[in-house]
Amino acid sequence: MNELQFLTWVRGPGLDIAVGIFLLGVLWRLFEIYSLGRKKDLSAPRSTSGASGLHTVFRRSIPPPGMLKRSPVSYIGGYIFHIGLFVVVFLFAPHILLIKNLTGLSWPGLPSQFIDLAAVVTMAAMVVVLVDRINKPVKRFLSTFEDWFTWAVTFLPVLTGWLAVQHLLLPYTLMLALHILSVQILLVVLPFTKLFHAFTLFGSRWYNGKVNGHKGVPV
Amino acid sequence: MSATLEKGVRVLKEVIDAPIASYFNSCVHCGLCAEACLFYTETGDPKYTPIHKLEPLRRVYEQEYTLLGRLKKMVGLSKAVTDEELDSWQELVYNSCTLCGRCSAVCPVGNDIVYMVRKFREGMSASGHAPEGIKGAVNRTITIGSPMGVKLPAVQAQMKHVEEDYGLPIPLDAEGAEYMVMLSSMEIINFPEYLGAIAKIMNQAGKTWTLCSTAFEATNAGMQIGNSDLARVLVARIVEGAEKLKVKTVISPECGHAYTALRWEGANLIGRPFSFEVKHIIEVLGEFQEQGLLKTEGFETDKLTFHDPCQLARRGGVIKQQRNLMNQVAKNFVEMPDAGYMNWCCGGGGGASAIEEGEELRIEAFKKKKSQLDAVKPDRLVTACANCRIVLEEGLEHYQMDIPVIGLTEMIAEHIPDKGA
Amino acid sequence: MAISNDKEFKAALAALPAARQRQVAARFVERVYPLSNDVRIKAALDLASRADISDAELTVVAQAANTARVESFTQCGRETDWNAQAGHFVAKAAVACVKPAEAGDNLAWDAAMQARMARTCQTVAEGSGTENREAEEQYRILEAFLNS
Repeated sequence: MNELQFLTWVRGPGLDIAVGIFLLGVLWRLFEIYSLGRKKDLSAPRSTSGASGLHTVFRRSIPPPGMLKRSPVSYIGGYIFHIGLFVVVFLFAPHILLIKNLTGLSWPGLPSQFIDLAAVVTMAAMVVVLVDRINKPVKRFLSTFEDWFTWAVTFLPVLTGWLAVQHLLLPYTLMLALHILSVQILLVVLPFTKLFHAFTLFGSRWYNGKVNGHKGVPV
Repeated sequence: MSATLEKGVRVLKEVIDAPIASYFNSCVHCGLCAEACLFYTETGDPKYTPIHKLEPLRRVYEQEYTLLGRLKKMVGLSKAVTDEELDSWQELVYNSCTLCGRCSAVCPVGNDIVYMVRKFREGMSASGHAPEGIKGAVNRTITIGSPMGVKLPAVQAQMKHVEEDYGLPIPLDAEGAEYMVMLSSMEIINFPEYLGAIAKIMNQAGKTWTLCSTAFEATNAGMQIGNSDLARVLVARIVEGAEKLKVKTVISPECGHAYTALRWEGANLIGRPFSFEVKHIIEVLGEFQEQGLLKTEGFETDKLTFHDPCQLARRGGVIKQQRNLMNQVAKNFVEMPDAGYMNWCCGGGGGASAIEEGEELRIEAFKKKKSQLDAVKPDRLVTACANCRIVLEEGLEHYQMDIPVIGLTEMIAEHIPDKGA
Repeated sequence: MAISNDKEFKAALAALPAARQRQVAARFVERVYPLSNDVRIKAALDLASRADISDAELTVVAQAANTARVESFTQCGRETDWNAQAGHFVAKAAVACVKPAEAGDNLAWDAAMQARMARTCQTVAEGSGTENREAEEQYRILEAFLNS
């Protein structure tokens, strides 16, 4: 298989398989988790405005009092790479074009130099959080193979994409094909690893906020 | 009632619900929960990381409720939960966790870790891995009817003592009273002043109240140990008493976990909503204050600070009232850093203080409370939980800090003029 | 003067100056001391009984008595040992004898109350209920003290 055939494959069948597994995987996992249900709370609720599941879905994005200084890398590094990922994935013209081809939806993108900067910043932030995970006793203690693997699987798409656009390291066709392949690996792996927090964090924050809202505590 | 690993694992499977599944799947191993837990911050030992306390439960979840997990189990690629493992988890789940809930307050993906620990304790208890210190409480509840072996004569002793000391009658089994007052074992045993304070306050407010001879005790060791059957027995007794006496409100005493057990878990344990209200004494005092029924004289002038019991404030939603009450009788009330919702635990709640082997750890964890107090340098420390009081006094004693500890209800009552004085 | 009820008892105690209060309080607590037998408490009582005590001496024994009190709390969840709990109230009573006196304090009354609580713990432990004659004994002690 030459480079062009490889690229054609990843753009075609590869994409179909990956997106298919991703969508089915997401649906299955959401079902697997939330179909367990929960018992109704029979205790009398307190009524407090500003305390509910929905409030916490948003409010939990803010570091609670005293926590930012205890682990600035977790919060700042985390914010930078998550926002960076969002910018690179959803505001880059070729990506928006791909989404338009798949779904019909489109929106304006950002200038490519900006995306370029965002990609570099994202990668830098990801390296910083990786180093933090290696250095900090608690993170190191908690980390399993999955943590390193998911880091790599998230980092590679950004790296390969950036290398492709910069025409670095490998010929463009091959670099692009590798980039698309790396994205497909990410898609396939996402529903079955901790990366699934992208979907479940809404449910988790919501449950937490609801339970505490019941007691009148805005969390 | 034998405890076995089989039983324990079965219980663990039963307690897993959608929230727990969602939490396990959301955890990204960021370790922020550890940064919020005083057992980690004061020891630096990562094993105290809150989410790590749940590792056996996580494996049960994976192996039982996920497709991939079940497949892995089928091909022998998964690690079953063992007795040895649960044994080594005992320290993590009991000695170094007071169910304070700070972890749940900070998890960025929203995990309610304290909820999971509470459920995990059910499995630990069913498999026989609860600490000796509180295991006895289960037996005592069954044989004597009280987790700490407190019977009616002890309550009557207190009643007599209070009637003499304060000159006020203590009603017992008064049907139709508005309030049924509960006491924690700790108050019955260690702090008779609490009952006296209640008598004074109720007397001034002109409210009818009563103790109940069959349900005077609020301490719920079932909740501490993680034995819902036991917790249910204790709650059902209170419900029966309250319904028999036809009271409107049951008052939970200055004890954190008693409030959580009765107010938030109670109805779910007995399977139906209560026909009466449950309020913490501080909530009731807050109401009296708002209604102008709390007429106090004079002020404390020394520098006071307040320790928010975890189960009252963060986990109970009673946060403002204690501050309003403090301000009514204190001229120099200063908040400690992180006061209120984010307050740091005293380190001894949830049955932890009954675990002898955990004492060294608790003393070390107390450094966090010490640092809060060092920042304020109060003359005295006020709180609203009998167990916090004792844990605080012991910690202060150990670190040679001369800061007397008093109960808020008691302090308020001291400023109520004596009847006919 | 004969004391026949708590109102008279409390008033008579309140009328005494602090040093005298400590002395009579020590006598109340000495009656229940066997329920504790903690030497720190004995030291506190011995000091309180003396007519001439300095603040410095008071501070030392007060600290020790307070430690005895804190050490004897019953922990939440443990089985209550009513005999041990009696000891806790003896310590509390001893603390009342030697703590710094502030205006309006009736430390002899506090000590008397805690001593009665100690006695009640003992009778609860014995299973003989809450009735005891500690109050009456305390009236006799006060009468004798006032007459001496």
